[in-house]
Amino acid sequence: MGAAISLFLFGAITAALSLQLPLGAPRMPGTGFFPLALGLALMALAAGRGVQLYLARPKAAAPEAPATPAAPEGDGATRRVALFVAGMIAAVALLQPLGYVLSSVLLMLVLLQILGIRHWYASAAIALVSAAACYVVFVRWLKIPLPSGWLF
Amino acid sequence: MLESLQFLASGFAVALTPQNLMYCVIGAVVGTLVGVLPGLGPIAGIALLIPATFGLNATSALIMLSGIYYGAMYGGSTTSILMNVPGETASVITCIDGYQMAQQGRAGPALAIAAIGSFIAGTIAIFGLVLIAPPLARAALAFGPPEFASLMVFAFVVLSNVTGKSLVEALMMAIVGLILGTIGMDPVTGNERFTFDSAYMLGGVEFVAVAIGVFGLGEILVNAAKPQAQLEQRVLVPRLRDLYPTLDDLKRSIGAILRGTGIGFFTGLIPGPAPVIATYASYSVEKRLSQHPEEFGKGAIEGVAGPESANNAATQSAFIPLFVIGIPFGPVPAILLGALLIHGVTPGPLLISETPQLFWAVVASMYIGNFILLLLNLPFVPLFANILRVPKKVLLPLIILFCVTGMFSVNNSVLDIWMMLGFGVLGYVLRGWAYEGAPLLLGLVLGPKLEVAFRQSVMISHGDFGVFVERPISLVLLLLTLAFLLHPLIKRAWQALPPKASDGAAKGEPR
Repeated sequence: MGAAISLFLFGAITAALSLQLPLGAPRMPGTGFFPLALGLALMALAAGRGVQLYLARPKAAAPEAPATPAAPEGDGATRRVALFVAGMIAAVALLQPLGYVLSSVLLMLVLLQILGIRHWYASAAIALVSAAACYVVFVRWLKIPLPSGWLF
Repeated sequence: MLESLQFLASGFAVALTPQNLMYCVIGAVVGTLVGVLPGLGPIAGIALLIPATFGLNATSALIMLSGIYYGAMYGGSTTSILMNVPGETASVITCIDGYQMAQQGRAGPALAIAAIGSFIAGTIAIFGLVLIAPPLARAALAFGPPEFASLMVFAFVVLSNVTGKSLVEALMMAIVGLILGTIGMDPVTGNERFTFDSAYMLGGVEFVAVAIGVFGLGEILVNAAKPQAQLEQRVLVPRLRDLYPTLDDLKRSIGAILRGTGIGFFTGLIPGPAPVIATYASYSVEKRLSQHPEEFGKGAIEGVAGPESANNAATQSAFIPLFVIGIPFGPVPAILLGALLIHGVTPGPLLISETPQLFWAVVASMYIGNFILLLLNLPFVPLFANILRVPKKVLLPLIILFCVTGMFSVNNSVLDIWMMLGFGVLGYVLRGWAYEGAPLLLGLVLGPKLEVAFRQSVMISHGDFGVFVERPISLVLLLLTLAFLLHPLIKRAWQALPPKASDGAAKGEPR
């Protein structure tokens, strides 16, 4: 249901924004014509899907229990995914101030920690080696200018 | 025909230069790796390697990138057989009998037959490509904008019909992709669209960010969400001398290999994630034709030979629509199309006649690549299997680091990394909803093409929308589209007549 509602809203926003663009005439469709049509089509399909799910709901109401069994392992899972994403956001935000090597070492350390590598020296070694390897491959070998900070 | 063979010979001359040979080997090795590593499929793998091709000419770039695609089909079987974990979606079926064989101590023959089957299938399918691509390209010259528009609509509906469980859900994903494709500059008038006045958005949504995000990062987040215990897995690494299949194995497999080749070749020509569908089709055919169907699911070698051949044949023939009409029929060819456009090559009916050296060199490299992969997957399979000993706890962060670094190197843009992160989260959410990412990616890549074809058609006809049904090829494509759209409805109505079928079962939770 959440999916249908989100997609409906996405379609609605697209359609609304398209209306602000020149639509043109059938003879010569303008910039906004194609996205408007797509937005409307998405709204229609999502609404249809939503109605379909809503109608199917009462029947499934009794054995709706499957929602709970997902929770026990789901809880830690959502937390881990959120931490993963947060770690990546932090690393990317620090990419330019700190430079590539330092921020990627940090990224690896954080991610390894989240996944539960117990010994800090193991994570540190893995993080250092992988960041250095990436640096060598991309900067030295492929000649791609990765952001450099105050260290590298 | 004779002309084709001459061209093919000159293609070999180009493909066998030391430089191109090296890129072919790199592509095959990386493809095998991508196939072996769970969580990194051919889509994200190819997208990650695109920046590495910037310094190359288009031919070498395509040789390497297509090597990743068919290499992944070889490598995918390794994890399926050894760990019961499909390395990519086209080897899900191989798990059934492959892992059973491994449990019975016959991992070697299973791996060997998968490699041999893939080689035979690949070789035959490339020959088919050589035979039918040039005449098809000549026929496709009759295509104008209305035919292209109808063909693309047809492709979306068929793709949506065969992916996932719900046609409506897949169609919605395709539309989201098409909408994302409209961001940036209007391809006809040059107006800005949905850019929110940012220069970054003017270039449109970076398809590499979507590919790595949805198919790479999304998959890794799904893996990270799994219980810790599932991240640790035991691998049995076979020894080289255990690899040889018996004569009986070969005898039982050859029919399955040839049938799988046929099935795979034809599925590659229709829209959809061809290699995946081909494996399912081949498995069910083998099970039905077998004289001992009771062995299926308990380690029948045909259940490995058929699907593994089918996915490889489908991989090769999926290049035909891409090269001949310039329209990718599945997500991986869509990525290859994006890569070709970066290199300034626009595939279409004229590609083979205008840039024969590119087309024939890539085809020749496929022969060479298949041979290299046979070598990689027979004697070297224990080596790749050892990579699986690297714990997932280490592998997942490493792949993320690759994704971030690779993404940055496409445009040297940090904004691209943010976009990839956003699409990674979207990919995770989609997986939770059990929605498919493939139609979205295809929509994004084909969106501008579809819009241009549509608007040109309407301009040619002076605003008469009848142009799509007045031209015969376009009409046939639209009628086929309609048939595919209505097919599930008719089927459901048919099923509803006799005793009430349990319909709610389809509405299950994601895996």
